[in-house]
Amino acid sequence: MKDILTPRERFGMLVIDEKPDRCPVIPLITSHAATIAGIKLKRYYTRGEKMARAQIIAFEIYQHDAISIFSEVGIIAEAMGSEFAYPDNDLPILKNPILQNSSLDRLTIPDPKKNGRLPVYLEAIEYAYKAIGDIIPILAYVPAPFTTGMHLVSPEKFLVDTLKNPDWIIDMLNIVFEATVKFCYEIINAGALPIIVDPLASGSVISPTIYKEFALPYEQRLIHYLHRYDFDVILHICGDTTAIMDKFPDTGADLISVDRVNMLKAMEKLASKMRLIGNFDTTTILFSNPDDIYALTGKMVEQLKYAHKGYIAATGCEVPIRAPKENVQAFIKGAKEKGWYWA
Amino acid sequence: MKKVKRIIPKKIGLDAWSKQFQDFPDETIKKYRYYNNNEWGVYLSPPATFMVYGLRELKRLKFDNSFESLRMWGFVFNETERLFRARQINKKIIATMGDLGIVPILVLSFPDCVPFYPECLWWTPFFKESTELLDTASKLGTPEATCFSRVVVSAFHKRSYFPKPDLIIASTGASCDDYSCVMQVVEDMGYEIMWVEIPYRKNPEFMLIKPKIQELEKTEQGFSYPKVIEEYLVKEYHRIWERLFKLTGVNNPHRLVETIKKVNRLRSLVAEIKTLNARAEVAPLPGLEMMTIEFGNLYGYADFDEWLDIIQMIHALVKNRVEKGVGVLKKDAIPIAWITPSADPYLLNLVEEIGCRIVETEYVINQAMVKIEEDIEPIRALARSFINGSLIGSPAERVKNIKERIAKKEIRGVLITNMLGASHCAMETRIMERLLSDVPVLSLDVPAPFGITQQIKTRLEAFVETIR
Repeated sequence: MKDILTPRERFGMLVIDEKPDRCPVIPLITSHAATIAGIKLKRYYTRGEKMARAQIIAFEIYQHDAISIFSEVGIIAEAMGSEFAYPDNDLPILKNPILQNSSLDRLTIPDPKKNGRLPVYLEAIEYAYKAIGDIIPILAYVPAPFTTGMHLVSPEKFLVDTLKNPDWIIDMLNIVFEATVKFCYEIINAGALPIIVDPLASGSVISPTIYKEFALPYEQRLIHYLHRYDFDVILHICGDTTAIMDKFPDTGADLISVDRVNMLKAMEKLASKMRLIGNFDTTTILFSNPDDIYALTGKMVEQLKYAHKGYIAATGCEVPIRAPKENVQAFIKGAKEKGWYWA
Repeated sequence: MKKVKRIIPKKIGLDAWSKQFQDFPDETIKKYRYYNNNEWGVYLSPPATFMVYGLRELKRLKFDNSFESLRMWGFVFNETERLFRARQINKKIIATMGDLGIVPILVLSFPDCVPFYPECLWWTPFFKESTELLDTASKLGTPEATCFSRVVVSAFHKRSYFPKPDLIIASTGASCDDYSCVMQVVEDMGYEIMWVEIPYRKNPEFMLIKPKIQELEKTEQGFSYPKVIEEYLVKEYHRIWERLFKLTGVNNPHRLVETIKKVNRLRSLVAEIKTLNARAEVAPLPGLEMMTIEFGNLYGYADFDEWLDIIQMIHALVKNRVEKGVGVLKKDAIPIAWITPSADPYLLNLVEEIGCRIVETEYVINQAMVKIEEDIEPIRALARSFINGSLIGSPAERVKNIKERIAKKEIRGVLITNMLGASHCAMETRIMERLLSDVPVLSLDVPAPFGITQQIKTRLEAFVETIR
């Protein structure tokens, strides 16, 4: 079947509860775009134009349904003062968190147009929006305060203090929230739809209690901020989130992107309240072969495409940086073919 | 007590609107809803929302900075969503095409029927700064030499700009030729169309067989026409009424009487806004907002009651600004008239940027501006109202108002924006140029999306220099 709608028209129908020509196919192609475009990873995440060009080239090759402005979840923390190392062929790594003790004095709200690599994102959005924003949605991944918080202090201290010094954590997250809102504000003005990502709030990392107390409230506030614009908000949490799945509708998110969960169970619990996004295994994308991926994707999409409020065929997490192109193409082909709605 | 922030009227860009929007309390945002729906009816969003969803031109357009205008824009840009939601709550969607002003009144007189104009999508490629819809139309058999209204073909093909209508009523005859061709392509795509014939308003003076005096009528603007035209339209409107009755199972002429009253309320408000705008020392609203207000008279952007409420609010705003002597353009802005609406909204911004002010318009929708008689049989009243139409008469009749205001020295120049391919532009523009030769006249072909070049800007600047 040949596409009738552009990715933007397709996404537009999904968010008003209408069935488009086929379900949108949005594998989380983030830094993988650099590999596909032949752009060095370090240049991808330090230069906005390169990031955008990589994403545009990936779109030209894959013809998926949204482009993803993203490299890694430390960006807001970096703009707030945490130090990151920039390996040539890998993503930035947290080197020195800004907070070495329990004082928050060193924390400031960054200016997204000046501090850290936030301007890189904004430049990438501007570039991509200008180039292809009429036909494809530009999604910008924004780390939620909980995930950013874990990059402002050593992760061990952060997690221990959620038990020993919770007020301090809350004070910190309130500052991070302000910084995140400011970043979202600029992302929107640049032309992208912010997607909230909270990978470190995953059940693979924290307990449901910690999630409820320290991650969920900030996800809710952020989503509320975006709802003021009348956006349909996507929340992505990687890993195994089975234990907190019941809480997802409480976030207020309109679309939930999940990773290592039983998707049929997710459909049963969530599909009447939220649109579902997911959740093809990224390890399979990396190591399997196109034929198997094509078949598995088709099976997944056939099971999920009639989710009550809508469905986006996606990978559970980011497409691995060095995933073979043929494997990603097989995923997209399988999802497009089996995701067709219109007669 | 919280100090109320005084907003000085001005035109602002998207960034400034976003900033201003941050101060709006949640209650205000939630207050305004289309179809009174509490689940999804919110529409009060800043331009940034619609820009993120793909309307790229909003990044460079300038808007009035009032809350009232923001409400209007949010409502207008939300129309596609509104039409799909209408279908989801079992309203009937009726495409009313080509007549520009009357058929929607008939539709609104039936319960849960929502009229809309697919051809109003012709602004979409410009707001999106995208040729995608136009290119798709070309691939589907309506080539580049056709008016921008060819986007209608793409929209019917894509089914993502409005739901499949329950009924399509398309006018032909004294309507735009290109547009009739566009609709023929849509019919070939398998859509059933109810065709309605619009008669030409013949000037009895030039008829070979002159009608007798008793066979003639006059429009509100003083144009004579043979009464047979009116009778023909009455028959056509009765035919539409019957079809809507068949569709809905309801036949209540009293509702038509009520709808006419409501439509007249809107038309009176808009007429007053236009008059206030034209006569004020400083323009209270920008030309782009004014054009959007005028076009709302056609069908209320698919929720007539909400639109009426918005216009009441804008009316109060304009009145207030005029009373205070404040506005959005400079006092010495040059008054001009604008003929034929521009498909590219940016042109309206541009013309004001170089020092003009639009004080009279002829957007081919005059028939939607006149008051409908309330003391005669309602369908006849609709016919008589439509006969005031711009498209169905001669170019001399189109420019009559403008000529009168030129004579009074209220208008110092005229800008005509042509639609490429639209046959009436090709035929009429040169004639109108001659008719208006007392003042400088500039006619421009509106280029394809994102096509306003320095050359066009220079022509506009030269035009302004000539008047100044």
